[in-house]
Amino acid sequence: MATRAFQRLPTAPAGRILALRLVAIALSLCIIAGVLALSGHSPVMLAELILRSTLGSRFGLEDLALFMCPLLLTGAAVTVCGTIGLWNIGAEGQFYAGAIAATGVALGLHGPALVMLPLMTIAGILGGMAWITVPTLARAYAGVNEIITTLLLNFIASLLTYYLTTGPWRDRISGAQVSTQRLSVSIPEMWGIVHWGFPVAIVIVVGLALILSRTRWGYEIRIGGANPEAARYAGIPVRLRIISVMLLSGGLAGLAGMFEVAGTVHRLQGGMANNFGYLGIVVAVLARGSCLNVIPAALLMALILDSGIVMQTQQLSASVILAITGLILFMIAIGDELAHYRPVATTPAKGKAS
Amino acid sequence: MIMLLTGMLATAVLAGGVLALAALGEVLAERVGVTNLGVEGLMALGAVTAVMTVSSVHSPWVGLLAAIMVGAVGGMVFAFGAVVMRANQVLCGLATTFMGLGLSTALGHSYAGQPVETTFGHVSIPLLSSIPIIGPALFGQNILIIPIYLLLPLVVHFIMFRTRHGLNMRAVGENPAAADAAGIPVMAMRFWYVTLGGAMAGMAGGYLTLTYVPVWSEGMVAGRGWIALALVIFAGYRPVIVTLSALLFGLVTALSFVGQAHNWPIDPAFLNMLPYIGTMAFIIVPVVVWHRMRRVMAAPAALAQPYYRDVR
Repeated sequence: MATRAFQRLPTAPAGRILALRLVAIALSLCIIAGVLALSGHSPVMLAELILRSTLGSRFGLEDLALFMCPLLLTGAAVTVCGTIGLWNIGAEGQFYAGAIAATGVALGLHGPALVMLPLMTIAGILGGMAWITVPTLARAYAGVNEIITTLLLNFIASLLTYYLTTGPWRDRISGAQVSTQRLSVSIPEMWGIVHWGFPVAIVIVVGLALILSRTRWGYEIRIGGANPEAARYAGIPVRLRIISVMLLSGGLAGLAGMFEVAGTVHRLQGGMANNFGYLGIVVAVLARGSCLNVIPAALLMALILDSGIVMQTQQLSASVILAITGLILFMIAIGDELAHYRPVATTPAKGKAS
Repeated sequence: MIMLLTGMLATAVLAGGVLALAALGEVLAERVGVTNLGVEGLMALGAVTAVMTVSSVHSPWVGLLAAIMVGAVGGMVFAFGAVVMRANQVLCGLATTFMGLGLSTALGHSYAGQPVETTFGHVSIPLLSSIPIIGPALFGQNILIIPIYLLLPLVVHFIMFRTRHGLNMRAVGENPAAADAAGIPVMAMRFWYVTLGGAMAGMAGGYLTLTYVPVWSEGMVAGRGWIALALVIFAGYRPVIVTLSALLFGLVTALSFVGQAHNWPIDPAFLNMLPYIGTMAFIIVPVVVWHRMRRVMAAPAALAQPYYRDVR
C-alpha cells in the first residue's frame, strides 16, 4: 500500500532548504506586515523607511557593520559548538565575561594601546573561556545537559555586570548610570564608526571554516558530532574534543564582548550584550553548521537589528524585534524540516519504485 | 528563630509555586518525548496577560484563566512546529521563548511598573493555618497554594503511574514506534500534553503576577522558565519530586530575601545570583556525587526526537 505522496530523506538538498527558507522569511514578513497594519501602522511606508535608513544611508551601513561584528563571533561560537552536537546557549554570558575581563585590564593597567589591546583581547578570550568552564566539565565528565547550564550562567553574568557597573567600577567621572567610565584605549576605527574588529571577525570566521574543514582536529570534531559512538570506536578522544570545542566557543563569545567594549561601546554597561548571545543562536541556525555561512547569516540578522532602530523611531517597542526574530526562527525551523521531504510518484500497491 | 523559619518557609512556598507549576507542565511535555524550551516565553506571556486582564476585569480568577488560555495557545503554536511539523524542538522552543518575551514586553508596555490591584488575597484556613511553621506557609497564604503543592502533583502522579492512560503516555516518550504499533495515537498524545504543559507555564506566569510579584516589568520572569526546565532534569521527570524540588528551590530564593532583609554583608547582586547558582549545583552535584543517579533519573528515551512513522 505504498501510496505515500512524500518521502522523507535523511539529508535535505541545499537548494530546497534555501527555497523554503525564502518562503519562510516571506511568510514571516507577511504576518508581521499584517500585524502592523492591524495596529495602525502602514507596512509599506515602514518598509520603505527601513530600506532607506539601513542599506540606503551611510549611517545605516555603518550600524549594520557594527551589529554584524559581535553577531559574527557569537554566531561562530554557537556554530563550532554545534559541530560536535552541543548547544551553547550561554554566548550572552560569555560575552559579558569577555567584556568584564577586558574592562578589568583596561581599568587596572595603563600603557600604550599597542600593548593594552592585545592584553585586553587575551583577557576577553580567557574570560569567555572561564565562563563556559563549568558547563564544559559538567558535560564532558558527568553528561550534564549543557543547554541549561550555559543558559543559567547568562543570568549570573548579567548580575555580575550590574554589580560591577553600579559598585566597584561605577563611573565616578561623568556619573553615567550602570556603566563604567569611558575606557582609555579603544580599537581604532577604519570606516566611519566601524572599528577594525569587524574585518578581524570576518577573518576569524573564515579561519574557523578552514580549520573545521581542513584539519584533523576539525574532522574529528565533525565525526564526534555526527556519530559519537563511531568516533569513540575510531579512537577519537571525544571527551577532550568536547572540552576543546566548548572552550573555543566560549572564547569566541568572550572576544565578541571584548570587541564590543573596546570598539563600539567604549565602556562596560549593564545590558550591553543586547541579546547578541541569543541572536548568535539564530545566526548559527541560519548558517546550518557552516562557518562560512555565518557571514551572510550575521548580515541578515544585523539587517533585522538595524531595522529595529528605525522601528523605535516609529513608536514601536524595541522588543518587537525579538518577537520578529522568534517568528522568523520558528518559520525557518519548520521550513528546514519540510525541505527533507521529496514528492514521490504514487504507485499502486504492486508497482515497483523505479 | 521560629519567626524567621516561618517567614522563610512562607516565602519559599510562595516563590516555589511559580516553578512548581511550570516544571510540572514541563514534566508532562517531556514524558511524552517533547522538550519545550519555550517555557520562559510562555510564562512571560501568561504574566502579562494576567496583568492586562485584571486591569479591566477585576477578578483574579478571570486573570488566571486568561493566562492559562494564552499559555495553551502558545503551547499549541510550539506543538504545531515541534510535533505536527516535526521541526527541531530546540529551535522551536527558543523561537517560542523569543516570541513570548518580545510580545509580552510589547503588549505590557503601558502596564509596566504599575502595581496590580486585583490579586489573590490572603486566606487563612481555620485550624490548619495555626500549625506551627508549616501552617502559615501552606494554609495561610493564597488559595492557589494547596492545588499547586498538594492536588496537582498527586493527580499527575496518579494518572502517570497508576492508570493505563499514564502507561500509554510514558510509552510515547520512551518508544513512540512501539506505542504507535500498539495503537496509541502518538501525535495526538504529544500535541495535547505539550499544549497542557504550555497552559501550565501560562498559569505559572499568571500566578507570578497575581500573587508573588504583583507588578509587570520587562524581564520579570528572570529565567524562572529555565530554572523550571532544570528542575525537571533534577527531579528525574517525576511529578511529586519536581514539586518538592521547586519548594527546595523556593527556599534558596527565600534565603536571598532573608539575606537582604537582615543586611548580610553581601551585595544584593550576589544574593540575587543564588537561585541560578543553586540550580547549577542542583543539576551538576547529584550526578557527580552519585554516578548511578544518571540512570535512576534518566530522561525518557525518545526525548527531543521527532517521531516519523514512515522512516524505519
